Amino acid sequence: MARQFMKGNDAIIMGALAAGCRSYFGYPITPASEIAHAAATHFPALGGVFIQAESEVAAINMVYGTAGMGIRAMTASSSPGFSLKQEGLSYIAGAELPCVVVNVVRGGPGLGNIAPEQADYFQVTKGGGHGNYRLIALAPNSAQEMCDLTMLAFDLADRYRNPACILADGITGQMMEVVEIPEPKLVPFDHTSWAVRGDAATRDNLISSIYLEPEVLERHNLALDRKYQEIKQREVRFEEYRTDDAELVVVAYGVVSRIVYSTIDEARDRGLKVGLLRPITVWPFPTAAIVKLASRVHHFLAIELSTGQMVEDVRLAVEGRCPVHFYGRCGGMVPGGAEILAQYEQILAGGQR
Amino acid sequence: MSDTALKVADYKSDLKPIWCAGCGDYGVITPFYQALVEVQAVPKDTVIVSGIGCSGRFPYFCNTFGFHGVHGRAVPTAAGVKLARPELTVIAVGGDGDGLGIGGGHVPHVARKNVDLTYILIDNSIYGLTKGQSSPTSPLSMKSKTAPYAYVEEPLNPLQMFLAYNASFVARGYSGKPKDLKDLFVQAIRHRGFSVLHIFSPCVSMNKEITFKTMNEIVKPLPDDWDPTNKLAAFEKAMDTGTFWTGLVYREERETIHDRLDAIGERVGRYQDLTELLKRFR
Repeated sequence: MARQFMKGNDAIIMGALAAGCRSYFGYPITPASEIAHAAATHFPALGGVFIQAESEVAAINMVYGTAGMGIRAMTASSSPGFSLKQEGLSYIAGAELPCVVVNVVRGGPGLGNIAPEQADYFQVTKGGGHGNYRLIALAPNSAQEMCDLTMLAFDLADRYRNPACILADGITGQMMEVVEIPEPKLVPFDHTSWAVRGDAATRDNLISSIYLEPEVLERHNLALDRKYQEIKQREVRFEEYRTDDAELVVVAYGVVSRIVYSTIDEARDRGLKVGLLRPITVWPFPTAAIVKLASRVHHFLAIELSTGQMVEDVRLAVEGRCPVHFYGRCGGMVPGGAEILAQYEQILAGGQR
Repeated sequence: MSDTALKVADYKSDLKPIWCAGCGDYGVITPFYQALVEVQAVPKDTVIVSGIGCSGRFPYFCNTFGFHGVHGRAVPTAAGVKLARPELTVIAVGGDGDGLGIGGGHVPHVARKNVDLTYILIDNSIYGLTKGQSSPTSPLSMKSKTAPYAYVEEPLNPLQMFLAYNASFVARGYSGKPKDLKDLFVQAIRHRGFSVLHIFSPCVSMNKEITFKTMNEIVKPLPDDWDPTNKLAAFEKAMDTGTFWTGLVYREERETIHDRLDAIGERVGRYQDLTELLKRFR
């Protein structure tokens, strides 16, 4: 197994390569461009396809086309570019095709800036485009996970014939860490029942998301929903740290979870019983795990690089069983350990936020 | 000019341009200020709309109204401004990625509408702000961060495209020849209709293949007796990829979208007010 020091963005492509993806379509945008640079370097050298599309819209539609052939395809961007892909994602989900999309989130709204944020949470986990669909959304918090979760994303996308999204942030994309590059793992999937390859075997298949008859479109939507319910049952992934006897459980994902990890032990040294629940899948959200904790902990605290998005999912899970607090920074500002520890102290001392 | 005439300093904002040292865009903005002086553009009646990219910073450096819009959408945004306030002088600015890549689909439609605005396309054949990816005008074989083994796509020919789009004013300039640029800006702003000015402006940080040096070898002004109403001849110059011809390539006077929208009212008759219109539904 090769070990290398690399950016999280580069690790995305290591994961894609190990997952057998050889088709990349993208458009330049900071802080995600290194993903395209790595794909431009490695994909053609392996006989694959790298195309710098003329636009984000073109890129997601190229993915749509390649995915329709039953071939693993991906694109990556950052917030404004990811917004442009929403129409394509809705069509891909509607047509039930697998693909992987990466959003290295930067500051918004609008042009915002190129610093890290987590304010695309709603867009990624609640839809983003039009219609009843979901993205399977994985939130890495290290360069290693940028690689590993990208591999997983391809498998989940294929298994459920649905777009899977890597919801990263500017820090996780730009931060350099040691990555163990995994051995290639190719999970075979039979695409013959739906892919269109322009041959006799797939001649009867049709890629489409149009269902003009309301009865038929309702059936299609309900079938999609059954699939999404199954994903919720089977694919939730999360991690807990020192929650066993915690009075306060922090919920944080991505780069914020890394900062929170570094505060838990210190909080314990100060006599504050704090633990962490880190969603790895932000959709499906670890609702059941939070419900379980909610029966015995005294407080939840959602910390995000936003003005409060994931906290809504925490509140929906807790359903009023105990207070759910929120602490967020945005615009590219990132909270430090001391700032977060002060939140614990305030909450456990009885202060409300 | 009288003492009350506006001077270059009146068009400069408090913010100094932050482009890289030696950037070609300095050779664009300086004659642009001078052109504003020559036409005596009233700052409060002038709007500069930009997209995203290094050239998207343009409005910040001008003491006019500014609109830093969406990547690739400067031209339709500018059209929206002009359609709402036809009395304003509207200038859209953007780069090759903005106007030929992600926003390339918008330009023909504003051209065929002949919206009375000026579009300054500052081309450096690279995505500079995102640090060096290929652009729609990067030449075949040019290396970049997204073409580490050399580019495999043919470049677009913007001049040929703008002529094909029926833009009513098509000019080309070079930031290494700022004096000529000033005259082209003046003519473009004075033109009634959609005027597009394609300017090559070398990126000294990211594009190591197309430089001031290589451009100086191929830039040549159109002959003195050039007839800017001869479209076939204009196409010939545009297709001559060995020489970068500069000057006013093509111009025609024709009705603008504003003229034609006004004509609808003339033709079908206008209602006095909403009450009068609502009588139709009784």
